[in-house]
Amino acid sequence: MNDDPEQLDKHVEDLLQDRRPERTPLPDEDALRARQTAAMLRAAKPGAGLPSKEFLERMQGSIHDWVGERSAQPDPASRPSRRSLLLTGAAGIAAGIAAVLGIQQVDKAAPKTARQLVENGSWKPIKALADLPEATPVAFRSGAIEGFLIRQGQEVKGLSGVCTHMACILNYSKFRDRFECPCHGATFEKDGQPTNYSSPLSPLPSLQVRVEKGQVQVYTV
Amino acid sequence: MREDQTTGAAVASSGKIVPLPHVDAPHGQDHLTWAYQTHVTAIYQYIYGRVGNRPDAEDLTAQVFVKAINGMRNDVSVPELRSWLYRVAQTTLADHWREYYAEGAGELDDDVTQQPAPRENPEAVQRVDALLATLPESYRRVLELRFLRGYSVRETAQELNLSETNVKVLQFRALNRAGRERGRPS
Repeated sequence: MNDDPEQLDKHVEDLLQDRRPERTPLPDEDALRARQTAAMLRAAKPGAGLPSKEFLERMQGSIHDWVGERSAQPDPASRPSRRSLLLTGAAGIAAGIAAVLGIQQVDKAAPKTARQLVENGSWKPIKALADLPEATPVAFRSGAIEGFLIRQGQEVKGLSGVCTHMACILNYSKFRDRFECPCHGATFEKDGQPTNYSSPLSPLPSLQVRVEKGQVQVYTV
Repeated sequence: MREDQTTGAAVASSGKIVPLPHVDAPHGQDHLTWAYQTHVTAIYQYIYGRVGNRPDAEDLTAQVFVKAINGMRNDVSVPELRSWLYRVAQTTLADHWREYYAEGAGELDDDVTQQPAPRENPEAVQRVDALLATLPESYRRVLELRFLRGYSVRETAQELNLSETNVKVLQFRALNRAGRERGRPS
């Protein structure tokens, strides 16, 4: 049962048509690697690989049920107070809560706005100011924060990179000069304001950013 | 281009992200549920990038969440939750490939052992570009036409001036060669 071009092409056709390939046992490692490579190539096709709205909605309901079932079981190790502390806030970030914190000050002081997105975090270096292009958002991830840095001269603004609709990670389109959600098409201007969505969305929260000795730092956990 | 700082419990326990006013999880869900749900898209994309088709990606994503929710503590921080989900995704993928080829499949996909990229899609495209660049012209061409441009075997045959049988042979050789290139330590 050697692998052959016909058999492999059948697998490739299935991938291209977004069908589940038949799980036939393979003769060797090369045959497996060829199929893993085919999967990787298939996923790189423009537009491929986003979950459907139906699937996301189904998962939403299922996860709710699974978590509920699990919580109903006795769990001596669980500490509800800490759990709500950590998850309440962090889930908040992931959900991209509306928190317009204003343009961040580029100074050496610790954050002083009364209500910041992150408390008791720390400043994490992200990249050198010199490496940031003027006015073009650059994506980063640090700790629990997914965001964009936008340089304006010697100052840098930080914005959450999580869509305020259903928490997908936003992309920046250079061509259209705005943030775009790959999931359901929401878009945001570079100041974080939502633009086109059918239902009203919150703007993207700002992040605390400072420049220290030429290094751009973000306040994060 | 981007930083991917190590995340972990030490970082998470030294700080916290405070809830802001009107921070209610959407749709009246509890926060643990919401924390899991915010990762569905990322895990789906991670898996899709490795199985390349929707039905498998949906099934495996659901499996990952069932396992993750049953195996995880309730007092987890989001960075811990994130890295736990990716670990479960990796073992779930290894099990998936074992159905095709049992021996040693767990260590076959090198990508699975690597730290996941922060944004799956652009990373996937970059990985593919780098892989294609290692191939001879004819191999690269057939894979580009079939996978990136979605040509049928017939269309590819016309474009390359080959018979359909030859296209399948060329595709076979190209995928096998690319598979071996991927296995090579970089």
